[in-house]
Amino acid sequence: MSNFIVRKVAVLGAGVMGAQIAAHCANAEVPVLLFDLSTKDGDPSGIARKAIDSLKKIEPSPIATADRVNHIEAANYDQHLDKLAECDLIIEAIAEKMEWKLDLYRKVAPCLRSDAIFATNTSGLSINKLAEGCPASLRPRFCGVHFFNPPRYMSLVELIPCHGTDATLLDHLESFLTSTLGKSVIRALDTPNFVANRVGVFSMLAVMHHTHQFKLGFDEVDALTGPIIGRPKSATYRTADVVGLDTLVHVIQTMADNLADDPWAHYYASPGWLTALIGQGALGQKTKGGIYRKEGKQIKVLDLSTQAYRDSNAEVADEVAALLKHKSAAERFALLRANQHPHAQFLWAVFRDVFHYVAVHLAHIAHNARDIDLAMRWGFGWNDGPFETWQAAGWKEIADAIHEDIRAGRAMSSAPLPPWVFEVSGVHGAHASFDAATGTLKGRSTLPVYQRQLFPERVAGEQENPGRTLWENDEVRMWTLDDDDGRHVPVLSFKSKMCAVGPVVLDGIIEAVHRAEREHAGLVIWQPTTPFCVGANLKQIRPLLEAGDFVGLEGIVAKFQLMSQTLKYAQVPVVAAVNGLALGGGCEIVMHATRAVCALESYIGLVEVGVGLIPAGGGCKEFAIRSAEMAARTATNDPMNWLQGIFQTIAMGSVSKSARNAKELGLLREQDIVIHNPKELLHVARKTALSLAASGYRPRLPPAGVPVAGRGGIATLEMMLVNMREGGMISAHDYLVSKSVATALCGGNVESGTLVNEKWLLDVERSLFVDLLHTAETKARLIHMLEVGKPLRN
Amino acid sequence: MNKQIQDAYIVAVARTPVAKRRGAFRNVRPDDMLAHVLRSVVEKAPGLALNEIGDVIVGCAMPEAEQGMNVARIGLLLAGFPDTIPGITINRFCSSGVNAVADAARRIQLGEADVMIGAGTESMSAMPQMMGNKVAMNPAFFERRENIAIAYGMGLTAEKVAQQYGISREEQDALAMRSHQKACAAIAAGRFRGEISPYLVREHVPDFGSSAVRVVERLVESDEGPRPDSSPEGLAKLKPIFSVKGSVTAGNSSQMSDGAAAVLLMSESALKRYNLTPVARYCGFEVAGVPPEVMGIGPIAAIPKVLKSVGISQEALDWIELNEAFAAQALAVMKTLDLDPDKVNPLGGAIALGHPLGATGAIRVATLASAMQHDPKLRYGLITMCIGTGMGAAGLFERV
Repeated sequence: MSNFIVRKVAVLGAGVMGAQIAAHCANAEVPVLLFDLSTKDGDPSGIARKAIDSLKKIEPSPIATADRVNHIEAANYDQHLDKLAECDLIIEAIAEKMEWKLDLYRKVAPCLRSDAIFATNTSGLSINKLAEGCPASLRPRFCGVHFFNPPRYMSLVELIPCHGTDATLLDHLESFLTSTLGKSVIRALDTPNFVANRVGVFSMLAVMHHTHQFKLGFDEVDALTGPIIGRPKSATYRTADVVGLDTLVHVIQTMADNLADDPWAHYYASPGWLTALIGQGALGQKTKGGIYRKEGKQIKVLDLSTQAYRDSNAEVADEVAALLKHKSAAERFALLRANQHPHAQFLWAVFRDVFHYVAVHLAHIAHNARDIDLAMRWGFGWNDGPFETWQAAGWKEIADAIHEDIRAGRAMSSAPLPPWVFEVSGVHGAHASFDAATGTLKGRSTLPVYQRQLFPERVAGEQENPGRTLWENDEVRMWTLDDDDGRHVPVLSFKSKMCAVGPVVLDGIIEAVHRAEREHAGLVIWQPTTPFCVGANLKQIRPLLEAGDFVGLEGIVAKFQLMSQTLKYAQVPVVAAVNGLALGGGCEIVMHATRAVCALESYIGLVEVGVGLIPAGGGCKEFAIRSAEMAARTATNDPMNWLQGIFQTIAMGSVSKSARNAKELGLLREQDIVIHNPKELLHVARKTALSLAASGYRPRLPPAGVPVAGRGGIATLEMMLVNMREGGMISAHDYLVSKSVATALCGGNVESGTLVNEKWLLDVERSLFVDLLHTAETKARLIHMLEVGKPLRN
Repeated sequence: MNKQIQDAYIVAVARTPVAKRRGAFRNVRPDDMLAHVLRSVVEKAPGLALNEIGDVIVGCAMPEAEQGMNVARIGLLLAGFPDTIPGITINRFCSSGVNAVADAARRIQLGEADVMIGAGTESMSAMPQMMGNKVAMNPAFFERRENIAIAYGMGLTAEKVAQQYGISREEQDALAMRSHQKACAAIAAGRFRGEISPYLVREHVPDFGSSAVRVVERLVESDEGPRPDSSPEGLAKLKPIFSVKGSVTAGNSSQMSDGAAAVLLMSESALKRYNLTPVARYCGFEVAGVPPEVMGIGPIAAIPKVLKSVGISQEALDWIELNEAFAAQALAVMKTLDLDPDKVNPLGGAIALGHPLGATGAIRVATLASAMQHDPKLRYGLITMCIGTGMGAAGLFERV
């Protein structure tokens, strides 16, 4: 495949989606033009500019760093259409009105370069109908590209070709969306609402239907359809509030308008209460009230029986909650079906009707069953898609049960299950999934971009290569994929819960580095799932803490420091491959690795102050050294210029809001690599290690003399603490902990400019750490974190 | 002042407009502002032989970087004064400007000079941090409890004053509101026109189209701080910045600003020689120390001290320029000394007009002098302010 480089993107339409798609391009270092209508008064690009400004205020933030907004250029259709010629990709994201879209297409078509891709981010309109309205020259370069809201965080993008879309162009676009923007692409068919919304919205309608049938409360149903069955916390009705009830009604209407022949067509209607809420202007979160409403601190939920809001506090019945805890899906579903509690019956009914629905529609809404399952994971945040859930629960048993319910009139539709359901033993094989249109199994995409994903997300039933274990202890595993790169660069993964670091993990890292030094070109530290590492394993140190064994505790800290130094001075490159949280000791691993390769959504921080401690696995030491190095490059040679910012970051326990933000905070180094697709992490990390090895890697020599900020530096940082303490912003213990951070960063209570070595800095941070362990407040913070899982302010 | 051999008189004043920090003067250097007011003030004394100026004393609170290297000497050289004229920069934080005027007057009183200039200049835009280019605390502040307040931020000391003197948030906001109203009315009535010497800002900006550097000129004629749109609701919405449960907000604190002023003083013999009419006579200046943690109450100690040394009663004061570092401390001073609110800051205070630290004292001398020119009924006028680390200053002038 020839190179496809996107030098610039244009997004047409500065609404919520358009602006956020533009923001995500900027996150990925892709410059972007954001168009909207021109305004007569004042700034002609005022609409787009306002949308760009408002990106800074949206939570969760669509921008990875505050400066991203500077890379989005505001434009308007009257003045700037000629700038479209600079763009390789144009994404149209204006309102869902066929006529408006077609008008715009006619207007912009003459300005597009002949090789530019033109894509529409529609969630409801037919791509082929839009294509028919396109100027003929544009059609081969036209397709649908359906992002999910919020586009930075929702992985799914549905890519929908029209009849004439050029196949190479689609491959190019899929590669760009996957690797550059970090999205997960599903090739969808041009059917109403495409894949994820088609199934997801039906699932919501089925939930609404059964809510009514079983006379359940909205909060009750949300308790049933949330994390307890592997779906997001916002479950069903809260999700509706977040999406916007008007938007939901609009999507339902699209189904009603376009799916008249569907066996479930009569369910494609908004229930009366929903239209009534919209009539009252209660559209959900954006109007601060919908199905739920926040009154003070209390969350209230609409009760249809009284037409009033009441406290929201429903829980799943104990017996149903208990049966859902069974590990085996087959057992879970058998128990669920047998249980007479309305909660159990409701859940079975919802699962059944969704299974029924996807079985009937698979042939014409998706290329295979895997696409539906992945679309539901990536677009709706389900842990498992409907087909894999069904298959795990026993394909035949569930098929028979559905069949039985259809016959008995219990299912929402009387449409029979398609014959293939009874001919197969499941839809997901080891390497391929069922395509109902052809009755064959379809493998995964062979597009080269997917070669970068060594561990693509698998659906249940698909086979995974677990790699070959080279060495392991109870909490870490060193292994290889045995491919070309893997032979040279093995992987170290943690087996501990949340990848927390205790003595066994520390031993494991040190041993793995030594093994890599003996036998390999490098080492990658990578975890198959998030997080990367939540820091020290407090559970393992609790007995020592409670026994008052401070010698033992100091020994663990010393081992932590030994681990960090082993990473830093490893004779082969050690690359930390980070996705998700890297906190405390996890951050220190990242800081001491030769290089970090981080997915954009990496949340990195030294959060030790939360438990009344300071970073003592080399974290403070490393910043003392780095600030001296940075200072040496300036005229004033003053380490405080860097230390003040770092001090605030550590003293406030700040966690980066993205990997790029971690660079701004100084937690990542300039040379650390940020990538957008977490599935490419291992690939990039191995290549990075290989490239470092090929460049003749040797660790840097230990610094010969580090000038520290010393007493003067501590005093300057303490000034901030005095003011915060006096202003009631921090507690006396916060003061003590933060002063310890200051002391460690400044290299101890020595004269400013004193030259020290690494060992001195490690000793300073370690002894301050142990001093804090002796305090009752730190002990209380540690115990509270262990028991409640949240920081204690004392 | 029985030891003096002659009186010192204010002959002319000139000041720049006061701009918000990083506002109209964001690209104007403090030494250039100083040179501008020095040139302007001597122009107001036609026929003055510049080489008769005994010294140029300039107040500056952060005399470093752009305003370092003895900014007084640099400013007078940039102003085109003869290189025979000396210059000295002095620093007593927020009173530096009035202190410079007093020091200049005293040199005349002692007979050391017949013509002097007292001035002030400060660019807070030029300072990256409130405490200058480099904050560098002494560890001793934290080792002994009695020294800890040296490390207190000014806002925190205002909170302490509010607490100790029972000044409510509502009172502070009301004072802030009045300050803006009075300042806006004064600007509308042209009350500052006599003292302000408009400043032509010349900025070198890139013209990206032609790749050439373009010089853009802007004439700044008026103070930038006063907000006609200031409202009680808007002020009430602001959150306290220095203390979680505090009452001091950005709205009821002085504004950070840039500005400069110069005051030309002469002895009676010089006045006669040049045939000039003085505006006011310098009467006295006193400074007093107070605890650093409540530095805002400084004027409570300084005002009675200067009244006593000059030998007049508080009732004799007709005009009081009380620097509103914070509404909390200004109110504490007014309440404790029972100052007549109608006489305090009739044209608005630092909350509206801004507070370019070391320049403020000289700027308000200029305001007082022009008020005296405007209103023949005024006799005694006072310039007073609190000073960081715990002092108060007060300078007294009499219309002639």
